[in-house]
Amino acid sequence: MCSMIVCVLIPRFALLAAVEGRRESLLRPVALAPEPGGTQAIGEVSGPAEAFGVRGGMALSEALARCPELVLVAPDADRADSAWEEILRRLEAQGAAVESERPGEAFFKIPRPPASSLANLPLWGGHVEDVVRRTRGSLGVAARIGVAPTRFAAHAAAATARSRAGRGRAAIVREGAVRPFLAPLNVTLLEDHDLAAELERLGVRTLGELAALPSGAVADRFGKAGVRARRLAAGGDRGLRPRTPPEEVSESLELPEAASGEQLEHAMSLLIGRLLAHPARRGRSLRAVRVTARLAGGGGWRADVVLRRASTEPERLGLALLPKLGELPGPATRLGLRALAMGSPGHDQPTLSRSPEERRRARLGEAVRQARAAAGREAVLRVLDVDPRSRVPERRAMLTPFPE
Amino acid sequence: MSIYAPDPVEVQAAADGAPVAVVATAVEAVREEWLVEDRWWTSTPLRRRYYELALADGRCVVVFRDLESGRWFAQPSPY
Repeated sequence: MCSMIVCVLIPRFALLAAVEGRRESLLRPVALAPEPGGTQAIGEVSGPAEAFGVRGGMALSEALARCPELVLVAPDADRADSAWEEILRRLEAQGAAVESERPGEAFFKIPRPPASSLANLPLWGGHVEDVVRRTRGSLGVAARIGVAPTRFAAHAAAATARSRAGRGRAAIVREGAVRPFLAPLNVTLLEDHDLAAELERLGVRTLGELAALPSGAVADRFGKAGVRARRLAAGGDRGLRPRTPPEEVSESLELPEAASGEQLEHAMSLLIGRLLAHPARRGRSLRAVRVTARLAGGGGWRADVVLRRASTEPERLGLALLPKLGELPGPATRLGLRALAMGSPGHDQPTLSRSPEERRRARLGEAVRQARAAAGREAVLRVLDVDPRSRVPERRAMLTPFPE
Repeated sequence: MSIYAPDPVEVQAAADGAPVAVVATAVEAVREEWLVEDRWWTSTPLRRRYYELALADGRCVVVFRDLESGRWFAQPSPY
């Protein structure tokens, strides 16, 4: 048996978090309101809203024109993140190495069983059905579960689990059955919704029809996105990229009355002090911090701040974080701070003597770490000459991670 | 990750094989044309006919036709 991938899917997770888990609220046309300060486009929508032709990402005016009785719910991304993080931790507590790119969607692998019997392992030893049962038990919330040899097929199985396997049952796609399973499914299962819409306009409605197209024609018409979509439709996919479980270094403060202005600044100073005193920080400096707020008018707000230099100085942190409070769309009833990335212990300690070259090197390393904290691991790369005189251009140089 | 990796591109060619349009933009002039043949001693030979083109909108691009598959690619390159 090959290794299998499990997909745990909770559709409309951000919307569910915004209505505080009250599923009955989604029995009417409901949508997430546009983010404060963002574009005027709605977020996730309920099933009855979809029946009116309302879709996530649609302009607010168009959504209201299609469904005048649409109820808008203030988004609360921080609540959704926290609730999803709790679910991921439950999965990881079972021993699963989890990949999750967005709240409501997680993947983990059931490795191929070894030749020798290891039936006593807590998660992997049993059959797929046992793993699904344990997963469902550990989640504590209703979720759709799909199991298949590839990531995309597992997601498709989870997305169609209710109609295929029945409510509360997992859809399992066995090895060798991936392509026949995917063939009749609609192209809207692809993550790239623009591509799916264009395929439908051209009359390519199912994944089987997409997989049957010549790869050259798909590449010419849709470029890399098309090639990737065709590979997914044909039963191929990339491997999983499990995350490293993050350490929770966060503090929050309930505000007795809806606060703004100077009161918020005091609260922020207090939170900075608490965050620096957090035992899980273990002497490390703070590199990136998330400011969160629960708004008095409903919903939540958050902003990420990446510091130019990782720091443990309250004054420096205050200078970076306090201006963010000016972006709050309304009075807040709760304020929070969470460390997103940290520097090494004692990072800020100055040295007595260093050559100008060492100092320049240290500043450059600091800039690289700052850019990576803000934009991800591949934010800073360097060009490595591999074969600079090659007649084939792509062999001349490669991009490799820049050393810190 | 290669920085000069070619991307598939839609090219219309004349009967003699020379490009006349790249993604619906007409070719103003073929500035240069050359052939690259490599790894012909292996089972995966590399055979490309390159064209350096001046397009009607003023851009200068390098495209090639993979002579093994017949497909066209745009080549970001230091040419």
